[in-house]
Order: sequence, then structure tokens, then C-alpha cells
Amino acid sequence: MRPVRWRHVPAGGAGAMTRCLVKCVVWDLDDTVWPGVAIEQDAMPAPYPEVLRAMDILAGRGIVSSAASRTDPSLAAAVAGHPELAERLVAPQLGWGPKSEALLRIADELGIAVDALAFVDDSAFERGEVAAVLPEVLVLAPDEMRLDRPEFTPAVVTDDAKARPRRYREEQRRRAAEQEYAGSREAFLRASGLELTLGPARPADVPRVAELAERTHRFNTTGEAWPADRIAELVDDPGWFVPVGRLRDRYGDYGLISTALVERHPRGLPAWQPRLFMVSCRATGRDVPRAVLGWVMRRARADGARQLLVDLRPSNANLELRLLLRGNGFTAADPSAGSPPAGTVLLARPLDGDEPTVPWLRLIEEAA
Amino acid sequence: MSEVEAGIRELLAAALGRDPAEIAALPADTPLFNGPLGVGSLTGVRLLAGVKDRYGVDVVAEDLTLESLASIATLTRYVADRYVADRYR
Repeated sequence: MRPVRWRHVPAGGAGAMTRCLVKCVVWDLDDTVWPGVAIEQDAMPAPYPEVLRAMDILAGRGIVSSAASRTDPSLAAAVAGHPELAERLVAPQLGWGPKSEALLRIADELGIAVDALAFVDDSAFERGEVAAVLPEVLVLAPDEMRLDRPEFTPAVVTDDAKARPRRYREEQRRRAAEQEYAGSREAFLRASGLELTLGPARPADVPRVAELAERTHRFNTTGEAWPADRIAELVDDPGWFVPVGRLRDRYGDYGLISTALVERHPRGLPAWQPRLFMVSCRATGRDVPRAVLGWVMRRARADGARQLLVDLRPSNANLELRLLLRGNGFTAADPSAGSPPAGTVLLARPLDGDEPTVPWLRLIEEAA
Repeated sequence: MSEVEAGIRELLAAALGRDPAEIAALPADTPLFNGPLGVGSLTGVRLLAGVKDRYGVDVVAEDLTLESLASIATLTRYVADRYVADRYR
């Protein structure tokens, strides 16, 4: 079992972010995906077979491919209808602007952070432009694009990861619908039929719970590493409660997007203590964290808990979560409740029956 | 109203995209979260960035449990206690 390690950079502290796993590889097209320059040829050049193979292998690992090509925008239609590329490229960007801007648009369209992008281009100029403007992007020349790089090889590929290409397509449809929607963002969310299903984790959920523990930063209370085998023990342990939340709407399935590792009545206290609480980035901006918290609080109260104790390790990334907790009645716990390790604080929230609810978000409870 | 309190109210208005006159008129014990101000996660990030920028007080890094964010008055007191005006440096 791995020892506990802290992934988060402490709040206010400088330090390099560790390289994240890549979620999307953005390919240049001319002389990278296919030989030559497309608009200079009579017919669309055939993509290199080894590039298509690489795209498929990456997709199997949950890593999607996109494209950023400096070319005539009219080529976009040809790419969108290309028998071998249409299904392999999500949100391709074809135009004359800088590639760094294309990458930002892709990250925004897919709803991922810029540091989850890799960029492959044969042109040293383009690589230099992107590296200068977006230092978080993994920039590679075609011969550096190797599938055995650590950024492309997650230790475990969960079903959730494999479904990433599908989810990105669904997100594109969702955003297109929102753009056409004549109303506020909140009205759109209501109209999109969001449903949050909450219930206890099953053994099959363990890999995804471990993946969330590993990969969430913004909505993660401690950044503590919890190996899958330890999580599996907790799922089976009546002294712990491991809830999972799944989100869907009429455009598709966001998957398992929230979880927590909750100790019941720690140290004999009439309390529940989430040792870790996480929400995936893809589910934020929809009041999901608040809805999950409120539900956990109600379950805790039903189990006889009189307060919720939350371990929190402030980091460079989790300020929004800290604000969410503060805004929902969490304050410094009384020292008698426990003394967390250095760099971590213990927050407490009394359970008086006024737990937060998100009225417009449909909540479905799964039985224990 | 102290100079710091006036500044905090201005930063609040900016973070929330609200009329500064409206924010200036609220009682000092108005809670930041919930209530008429309704500071949230994103607006809170903006507010604290503004505080650090204007007063050099890093609430994010120094107030680990964000106790100072109870109300306009508590945030003002927290910042005022730590703000060293340029003229004193």
C-alpha cells in the first residue's frame, strides 16, 4: 500500500504543478496527420495509418483527439465529413489564428483544463508559439509523440475514462443547445433535465472513486492519496459511508462525478467525518457540490450525527470548495473534536435540519 | 466608515457586479454568504483576489478556515488588522 502523500500545493506556496494525465491530444494536420499541405493538393491527402492507429489506442485509454490546423476554414467541412477523421477528432479547429487560441477553444469546448492538453505539430514555430503562450500544454514534435509516455499511460483505465470520447461529443451537443437557448443559464440547466442520483458505492465503483481521488483538484478537500484497495475496504466497512453521485441530463450521461469517504461516529463522537470529499470538474457550475453535501448531511443526521466534521487541506486549487463549505455553514471545529495533521484544518457544521437543498436539481436516492 | 471598510465594500460590489451605492448602504453586519449579498464560490474568488491586490492581505493563504468571511465587518476587521498602508512602510 502506498504511503499517504499530499498532491496539493499548499495555499499561498509556490511550486511546480505535477504533470497531469493528458485528456486530449491536439494534432496539427498538414505534415503531421497527413503528408503535405491539404489546400495545395487536388484531393484530401490520406492520413498516416500510424497516426490513426495512435488516435485509436489513445481513445481506448480515454484520451480523445482533436485538431488545430492553420489553414483555410473551408477545409473544416472536408474534415468534418472525412471518413477516417470525422469520428476520431472532437472539436477540430481550422482557421488562420494562432494555435494557442485554437487550443484554448478546444479546452473550453471540451470543458477541460489547459494542462490536460497535449499538442503535436511538425512546425517548430507553432510548437514555440504554443509553449510560450500556454506553458501548461505538453508540446511535442511528431517523433516525440510516443504512446508509452507517462502522460498517455494511466495506470488504470476505468470505464469512465473509456467513455470520455462519448461524453465530449455529448458536451458539444449540450453547449450548442445552450447557445441556441433563449434564456438564462439557470433556465437552460433546468430545461436540460439534470438528474443527480446518489447512493452508496458498490465494489464496481471503486476504480472510479480511486480515479476521482487521484485526479480532482478544485473540488477535493485534502488532496490525500487513497489507494483503490483501501477504498475497497471502506466500501465494505460498516464504520464508513462511501456515497457516489451520478449526473445525467437529456444530452447524455456525465457519469460518476462525486464521492466521499465518510467515517461514521469517529472517536465515538455523534458526528460523521468526510475524510475526503470530491466533485469532478465536469459537474461544477451546476450546484452539484452543494446538493451532494446537503444529502450527506441529511443522511448523517438520520444516522444520529449532530455535526459534520470535514478535514480540509487548503491548496492552490481548492479555494472554490473552501468558499462553498464556508458559505454552507462550516466553521473551525472545536479543538475537542479532533486535531488534524499540520496543514489540515478541521471544519464543523451542526446538523440542525437546515441542510442545503438545490430545489431545481432533481435528486434520486438509491437505497442502501 | 473607515477607509478599509469603504474599500472592502467597493471590492464586494465589483466582485458581485452590483451597484457600489447599494453595497455601501448595507449594514456592516450583513453576512457575505446567503442574505442580500449572496457571495458564492466564483464571486468569492474574485473578492479575495481583489483584497490581496489592493491591500496585500492574502486571506486565502492565511485564513485557513475563512472565518473572516462572516460579514462585511469581520472581513474589514481582518484586513484592517493586517494592512500596512503605504505611508507606514
